[in-house]
Amino acid sequence: MTITDSRQPAAAGAPDADLIREVEQFLYREARILDAEELEEWLTMLTDDIHYWMPSIQNRYRKDKQPAFSEETVALFEEDMDSLKIRVRRFYTGFAWPEDPPTRHCHIITNIEVALTDNPDEYRVYSAFLNHRSRLEKDEDWMVGRREDLLRRVGGELKLARRKIVTTQSTVLAKNLSAFL
Amino acid sequence: MGEAGRKKYADYIDVEEGWVDRRIFWDQEIYDRELEQVFARSWLFVGHESQIAKPGDFLTTYMGQDAVILSRRKDGGIGVFLNSCPHRGNRVCFADAGNTRQFVCNYHGWSFGNGGELLGMHEEYVYREASKNFDKQKLGLVQARVGTYKGLIFATFDPDAPELLDYMGDFAWYLDMLVDADEGGTEVIGGAVRNVLNCNWKFPAENFHGDAYHVGWNHLAGSMAFGGSGFKADQNSSFQMNSNGHGWETAMGGGAMITAHNSGPVLEYVLENLPNIEKRLGKERAEIYGAISSVTMFPNFSFLPGLNAIRVWQPKGPAKTEIWAWVLVNKNAPDTVKQDMRRGVMRTFSPGGMLEMDDGENWENATLSNAGVVTRRQKLYYGMNLNAPEGPDYLPGNVRMGQIGDNNQLAMYQRWADLMDAPGWGDVPDRRQAKKAAE
Repeated sequence: MTITDSRQPAAAGAPDADLIREVEQFLYREARILDAEELEEWLTMLTDDIHYWMPSIQNRYRKDKQPAFSEETVALFEEDMDSLKIRVRRFYTGFAWPEDPPTRHCHIITNIEVALTDNPDEYRVYSAFLNHRSRLEKDEDWMVGRREDLLRRVGGELKLARRKIVTTQSTVLAKNLSAFL
Repeated sequence: MGEAGRKKYADYIDVEEGWVDRRIFWDQEIYDRELEQVFARSWLFVGHESQIAKPGDFLTTYMGQDAVILSRRKDGGIGVFLNSCPHRGNRVCFADAGNTRQFVCNYHGWSFGNGGELLGMHEEYVYREASKNFDKQKLGLVQARVGTYKGLIFATFDPDAPELLDYMGDFAWYLDMLVDADEGGTEVIGGAVRNVLNCNWKFPAENFHGDAYHVGWNHLAGSMAFGGSGFKADQNSSFQMNSNGHGWETAMGGGAMITAHNSGPVLEYVLENLPNIEKRLGKERAEIYGAISSVTMFPNFSFLPGLNAIRVWQPKGPAKTEIWAWVLVNKNAPDTVKQDMRRGVMRTFSPGGMLEMDDGENWENATLSNAGVVTRRQKLYYGMNLNAPEGPDYLPGNVRMGQIGDNNQLAMYQRWADLMDAPGWGDVPDRRQAKKAAE
């Protein structure tokens, strides 16, 4: 099982250039907000029914009918708005020691594809990410992967309603995953 | 006295006064000896029976730094054997888990059955017709001894190690709170989460063994985010228990750990089941069930009872450890409860978990700092709560009142030193009721 698939979503027509541009700007802005650690602001970019999911990957043989991950397997993130708010609250308590001194984050977002869906207010968006974190003298963590988002237009503005994050690492090569991707 | 007879490693641990030499956390020679003396001789957790339920099911893991396969044989038995071909040493299995009739080496096609026995190979006729010392019976995958306890599977490569139940000793009475609180038994759900820490394996092991002390301070942000105000121990109503290197620290009033799942259905399920737990395990253990607690079964199998988080600290070098973490639930629990438990464990104790996130940096930086050449001259202070009174007689093992303290951690290092020094299992002292026996 690869980290994504190449199926084209069944959609009514192709997205126009303005929409693609709007989606790109939304994702770049989100990345900048995460790099700036403005997590309260980040929450306002999500819908109330957000499903934020990053499954853990298992190595399985190609012939195996069990997938490398599924909704039943353990996940590094399996969040709704309530649990994301708890995470953000933790960050702002003033006692989140592994974030003080601050970690330096850089989210690089690329390979953005936009597809229309049956719902005219919702768009399926594919992207790839590179997340670099460094903290203290020389701690350094890299994570690369793909995302599959559902963006929804709410009151004229785009918001993130679903995110699936699949990284290339089956063992997380870091002491923690104190980052949103 | 010659080098062989000296208690070299016992000198690193001062159990009576509470000092530990920093060297044990970074020295390559000590680490290499740990692999021989501790990991190659102890009973190590390798998996749960539910993970290999059907014939042909397997998973791959490690015993120390040796890669092994845990396999459900055709006859229903359990096999644990090295994941290394006797021909050139390559792995014979590269998947984390699955179901197979045979394990085939990619290099030359040597194939092995579910029990690790050699079945055949590519161009076998050359071996049959013109090869020295070729004996299929003797060229299987190297077998470990297997022992199970209520669903948990352990293995050891030492033929002289005591039986698993003897190895667990008094610890089994406590372990039943994890694996025998419901008539249906337990199962592991959802596979494993793994991550890498640049720390010595003993830091996480001792942390779960007895360190309730760090919870109130180190995990303050997490507990505040969940709506709490930080963990406060009651030393008069909590204890540390150890027996032959295994350790269990816990409060005596139950329930608080369950709330970390942040799930109504989970809390309801546990509360409704408490009468059954009391019927199964008795009043003493029902009172402890689900309390704030943490556990290490020597050397590297740890868990948080009540939170259903189980894990192994896989040693990968003096300053490298991998956490392999699983979710353990009661098999008969309703599905919604199991799924909430899975989420609850991952949101608290996984690489992205809001509590576990705090731990890695401490263990990494403790490992790194301890290696400084001047730093290493000062021993680490492990004297906390050593003067505490003994626990009540109804609690098996060496019990000291107060879950905050160093009694358990020192007991873990005492067992560690016992094994590091002892030429054979016959030379390993029995540390059950050590304090009482000494009086």
